[in-house]
Amino acid sequence: MVIKQLRTYTFIAIIINGLCISCTEPVDFNQVNDFEISPVIESSLIFLDEPANRFSDNENELTTIQDFVQVDFFNNNFIVDNLIRAEFVFETTNSINRTFQVQVDFLDSNNQIQHTFTFFTTASANNTNVVSNYTEVFQDNTLAALKNTSRLVFTLNMLPGTPINQNTTGRISVKSKAVFYFNIDNTTL
Amino acid sequence: MRCLGIVFLITCFSFAQNKQLLYGFSEIPQALLLNPGGEIKNAGFFGVPLLSHIHANAGTSGITLYDLFADNGVDFNLKLRNAVYNSKPRNFATINEQVEILSGGFAFGNLFEKNEYLSFGLYQELDAIGYFPKDYAVLGLEGNQNNINKVFDASHLKASAEVISVFHVGYNKKVSDQLTYGIRGKVYSSIVNVNTINNKGSFVTVLGDNNIYKHIFNLDLELKSSGLSSIRNSNKDAAFQEVKKRMLMGGDLGLGIDMGFTYQINKQWYVDASLLDVGFINHTKDVENYSVKGTYEFEGIDPFFTEFETGQSADEYWSKIEDEFNDIFVADTTYNKFTTWRPVKFNASLNYSFGEKKEKECNCIKGEKEFQNAVGAQLYAINRPRQPQVALTLYYFRRLFKGLSAKTTYTMDSFSLYNIGLGLSANLGNVNFYLMADNFLQYKNIYNAQSVSLQLGFNYIFKKNED
Repeated sequence: MVIKQLRTYTFIAIIINGLCISCTEPVDFNQVNDFEISPVIESSLIFLDEPANRFSDNENELTTIQDFVQVDFFNNNFIVDNLIRAEFVFETTNSINRTFQVQVDFLDSNNQIQHTFTFFTTASANNTNVVSNYTEVFQDNTLAALKNTSRLVFTLNMLPGTPINQNTTGRISVKSKAVFYFNIDNTTL
Repeated sequence: MRCLGIVFLITCFSFAQNKQLLYGFSEIPQALLLNPGGEIKNAGFFGVPLLSHIHANAGTSGITLYDLFADNGVDFNLKLRNAVYNSKPRNFATINEQVEILSGGFAFGNLFEKNEYLSFGLYQELDAIGYFPKDYAVLGLEGNQNNINKVFDASHLKASAEVISVFHVGYNKKVSDQLTYGIRGKVYSSIVNVNTINNKGSFVTVLGDNNIYKHIFNLDLELKSSGLSSIRNSNKDAAFQEVKKRMLMGGDLGLGIDMGFTYQINKQWYVDASLLDVGFINHTKDVENYSVKGTYEFEGIDPFFTEFETGQSADEYWSKIEDEFNDIFVADTTYNKFTTWRPVKFNASLNYSFGEKKEKECNCIKGEKEFQNAVGAQLYAINRPRQPQVALTLYYFRRLFKGLSAKTTYTMDSFSLYNIGLGLSANLGNVNFYLMADNFLQYKNIYNAQSVSLQLGFNYIFKKNED
C-alpha cells in the first residue's frame, strides 16, 4: 500500500515537474537589429514613338521639343533614407536619317540644376532600325542630386542633317525604365 | 514520417484554441464551457474570481521563433530569407487567451433528482490570427526586378485580432440515463477589433506595349477596426475606464449560442458533441475602416508629345497620373459599422470507459461504481478566415485515487504530429484545482515549439450527495 502510494506520488511529481519546467536552447532576439533587405524595384519611365514626319510642321523642322514634370517622388523620406543606387536605362530605336539627342535636367525646388545627362540616337542612313542603349547611374554625388530633384526637364533635340518633310520615312522610339536599389535596415525602419 | 508531415502541412490540418485536455474532463466545471450538454459531476460550484480559468495558447503552423532567432552563428538575414521562402501563405500564427472573471453553477430540479443545471459566468478573451503574407514578403525582399510576370497576390494579407468579454448563461438537462443536452446563450461585448480578411487583387509587372514595362495594379484591400480610436486618443486613466466599461457589457454587443449533448450508448460507451460560438458582434463604436481600391495600368509617360496627343502639357498629364495613383493608394477612411462572426468551433468525441474500481476494504457505499479508466477519440474544428482547421486527439483518462484524475492526450494537427498533453485535476476538500499543458515533447526547446498551451484554475465545488 505504501509502495503503491509512493509510486502514485512520484508519478504526480513527474507530471507537475513536466508542466512547470521547460528548457530552451540559446536564442538571441537582438539579431533583429541585423535586419536588412535589399529589394530592387524597376519602373517604367518615359517613352516616345513617333514617325519622322512628326518632326516636320509645314516644311519647318521641329528641332527642339522640351517639357517638364514636377515630381515629389525623389524627395520622399523613404527614398531619401533607403535608396542606395539608381539607374535610368534607355533603349532607343531609330530608323530616321537624323541623330537625336535626349537631355534630362534635374532641378531642385529652387529650379537650380542638380544634375544633367544627355545621350544620342544614331542616325539611320538607310532607314533600318538602329538600336542604341544608354544607362545613367546615380550613386554618391549624383544620387544625392537625384534625391534633391523636384523637377525633371526633358529635351529632345534633332541634330542637323538631311532635311525632314512630310514624306520622310522612318520612326524613332525611346523606351526607358528606372531601376531603384534599396537597402532597408533596422535603422531606417 | 517526414512525408506524412508534409502531407499534413499541405492539407493544413491544424488547431488553435483547441482545449483537448479540458474537453470531456467532467471533474472540472469549466469543461461545461466546451460542451454545455456535458456530464456534470458536482451539485454546484463557484470559480475563484479571476483564477477559475486561465488559458493561454500560442502557435505557429510554419516557422518557429527558433528558426529565426537561434543563436547558431547563421546570419539573421539568411534565416529570414529561408523563413520567407519556406513559408506558405496558408501558414499562420495564432494567440488565444482567456481569463474567467466570474463563474458559477448549481443543480436544480425535483428534490430527489436534481437533473437540471444552470451555469453562468463572465470571461475575457483575446483571439488573434495572422496568415503569412508571402507575396508581400517576397516583394519586400526582392522587389519586382526578378519577378517580371509574377502576379503578386494581394489576398495573402489576412489577419484578425479581437479582445472581447463574454457573459453567458447555460442550461443543462439530463433527460434520461442516456441523454443529456445543454444550451448556452452568450452576450459578447467587443473591446477592440481589427481585421483585414477580405483582401483581393494583385500587382504584376509585364512587358509593356509602349514602354519596357507595364505595371498593373488591381487592388481591393480593406482593414476594419472598432474600439481603437477612443482608447488610443485618451490618457491612460480614461482608456482604462473605457476598457473596464466595455468589459462589463459596455462595448459593441453581439449574441451567440453554444449547444451540445452527451449520449450514453451503453454502460461503457458514450458519444458527445458540441457547437460553440455560433454568433456575431455588431461593431458600431469607434469604427474606422481603411480601404485601398482600384485598378491602374502604368507604362510611364511621353513627355515630348503629350501635348500633341492629349492637349495637356507633360506636367498636367503627369499630375493627372499622380492623382489617379493617390486615388488608389491613399487609403480611404470610412466609418461604416460592420459585423463580425465569431469563429465557430465544433467538438465531438467517442469514449470507452473500463476498469471498475475494486473495493477491497469496504463496499458500504451503494451506487454506481465509477470506471477508473477511459480512452477515446476527439475531433475539433474551428472556422477560420482562410479555411477551417481540424485536429484529432486520442486520449487516456485515469482516476489516480479519490479526488485526483489525470488525462493524457495525443493530438495530430499541422503544428505537429506528436503533440502530447497532460492534465491533472485535484479535489482537495471542496477546492478543485486543475493544470494542463500540451506539446510536452517540444518543451525541451520552447522556442522551437510550434504551439504551446496552458490552462489552469481554481474552483470551489459543492459535491453531490452520493459522493
